[in-house]
Amino acid sequence: MTAVARSWNRLTLAGKIIFTLIPILIVLTVGLLAVILILGKPIVDFLAANLWLVRFVVAATAVLLMSVPTAFLIIYMEMKVIALMNLRIGPDRVGPFGSLLSVVHGLKVLMKEDFSPTGADRLVFTLAPIAVFMATIMTLLVIPFAPGLFGADMNIGLLYLFSVSGLTVVGLLMAGWSSFNKYSLLGGLRSAAQVISYEIPLTLSVVGLLLLAGTMSLNQIVLQQGPHLVNGAATGGWFTDWFVFRQPLGALIFFIAATAEANRTPFDLTEADSEIVAGFATEYSGMRFGFFFFAEYVNVFVISALFVTLFFGGWNAPFPWPWPVNLALDPGSLGIGLLILIAVVPVIGTLILAAPFFVARSSMPAWQALVIGFVLFNLLAVVAIGGWAFISLDWVAGLLWFLGKSYVFVFTFVWMRGTLPRVRIDQLMGFAWKWLLPASLLNLFVTAAAIVIVGPRA
Amino acid sequence: MIPLPGLGIVKGMSLTLRRFFEPKATIRYPEVRIDVPHKFRGRLQLLYDEYGTLKCETCFQCAQACPIECIDMGGMDTKGRYHIHWGAPETYGERRDESALRRSGRPVPDQAFAHFDPIATGPVDEILERFDHDPKRMLEILEATQEAYGHLPVGALKLISQRTGAWYAMIYGTATYYRHLRFEPPAAEPLAAATADARQGRETAYLAGLDASLAGSGSGKSPRGGQRTTGKRRGSPPGPGPARA
Repeated sequence: MTAVARSWNRLTLAGKIIFTLIPILIVLTVGLLAVILILGKPIVDFLAANLWLVRFVVAATAVLLMSVPTAFLIIYMEMKVIALMNLRIGPDRVGPFGSLLSVVHGLKVLMKEDFSPTGADRLVFTLAPIAVFMATIMTLLVIPFAPGLFGADMNIGLLYLFSVSGLTVVGLLMAGWSSFNKYSLLGGLRSAAQVISYEIPLTLSVVGLLLLAGTMSLNQIVLQQGPHLVNGAATGGWFTDWFVFRQPLGALIFFIAATAEANRTPFDLTEADSEIVAGFATEYSGMRFGFFFFAEYVNVFVISALFVTLFFGGWNAPFPWPWPVNLALDPGSLGIGLLILIAVVPVIGTLILAAPFFVARSSMPAWQALVIGFVLFNLLAVVAIGGWAFISLDWVAGLLWFLGKSYVFVFTFVWMRGTLPRVRIDQLMGFAWKWLLPASLLNLFVTAAAIVIVGPRA
Repeated sequence: MIPLPGLGIVKGMSLTLRRFFEPKATIRYPEVRIDVPHKFRGRLQLLYDEYGTLKCETCFQCAQACPIECIDMGGMDTKGRYHIHWGAPETYGERRDESALRRSGRPVPDQAFAHFDPIATGPVDEILERFDHDPKRMLEILEATQEAYGHLPVGALKLISQRTGAWYAMIYGTATYYRHLRFEPPAAEPLAAATADARQGRETAYLAGLDASLAGSGSGKSPRGGQRTTGKRRGSPPGPGPARA
């Protein structure tokens, strides 16, 4: 045994990993520095000339990143809310109030065997969940989350959204077809029939709204429901401006059709988990199956967000909100005092907040009081900074309003799942074609007639 | 009244929303334990095994432990002569042998349920007089009886049950609980071996009959099973034992 091998064997596992990583990191850092030094100028120039590229990359990354906690939150909501409605407690083991259970579910799904059945079309079988997932994720790109916070302000945003989310059908059919299983194929065809049938009333229900708004850009639609400038002064801003009060029938049809579109109870025949196996996803397991579920739960959020955007004022507050309030805070004016403040305030704050506990309870050791003080100080700091951001940054307040409204409807979807029984397939189809389609056409004609008679902004 | 379309949905949704805020029924078991009554022992059940025979071996432990004395059981010895306790007629000894064979694969002799020999009751009378016929001092009575006879004869136990009013089941349970109390004289080893030989033959016959019936009918019934029951009644009057009644 050579000396090198002996020294290597003396290292622990962590030591071996670090010993291997350090040279790689050094090489990478040097290489990166070299690339920046040599090619930095052209790259920056190129990016500055093509800002859309930067915007696209940032938006795509942000959307992908936000889809994970969104899905986890909605899965957790689904478990917890339905449990509470059943007089159960629901998840309560992992994390505070069981809130990390969906993370554990995700890990479980990741660790399962990646299985594909004999005779399956491997390529299509693999691509199907990706197609469904991408179709769902891409719709998030045009949804305006807050003033100035959206992936792209397309002038055909709504059309883009409907067409991209319609691609889900392709993924479902791919999954059903490639599984080499007649029941999967039947399930895929059934979901395709359902989704396509409900696309029609879903799309027709917003045409009346489009006539009123005169634009397909989701951002513009939201702006029209908020305070608008009349002669240079902002007026309105009350919730009565929301389109739901001018298109109540359209909102109702949209909600019902969106429920079916998102495969939620009472229209979740696609994978009626208590009755049939899983429809198109029968042969799927592991992370491929996980992607279908992921897409489904992100889709719930997308549908709720779209409903809020179109009919409930998007990120507008329901009452005139004096934002942004410009607090004349200029931390730079403190000069060197700012550095001292940053260094000293946490310590002093912790000590001050810890003192009452230490004084009041003689049984409490000093370190416990200090921990309590530290936690309290952090809470105070978060509340203060959050409050400041909420008041003076309009996109923070807008984002909060938007997410709050969206999750109200996510809750409604979950609530419906906890309450309503499933409809039969013929009832499902008959309802779409015999009731929703005529009703949406009626809504369209009445809106058009009203616009002709009264004018677009009555 | 014309039902409004969607009214049922609204009703159902409001119901689930009310449930959402109501207190929950779940008990987080290992951390939180529900308060059960002190004497709660769960649900009582008589189970049958796969041969259709009662699994109960008439060990009387349940009857003895039952805090409100709601378990009432009885049986007779093999020849139908010796009545252990009143209740549904039951060939206790026979079933006991069957169970012992099935469970342990060997006969387990139990002298307490053999037909008991007549004993001279003088010492028992004297002992009972000494302990004031008090069933609460049963252990001392039994120890004194064993001292007098060398072991606990069934006749003496029977007599003690009759005089003190304690159920024979309780006396039997007490006597079997303590190791220093015995049912047979210490010198009875060869006799036990002889009975063991006799029972070995019965074991073979039983197993053969069982195999034949299982292979023949396929109904899974024991050749002799089905006619034995153990009575369990709620609310039987506590207090005086069968001998007094």
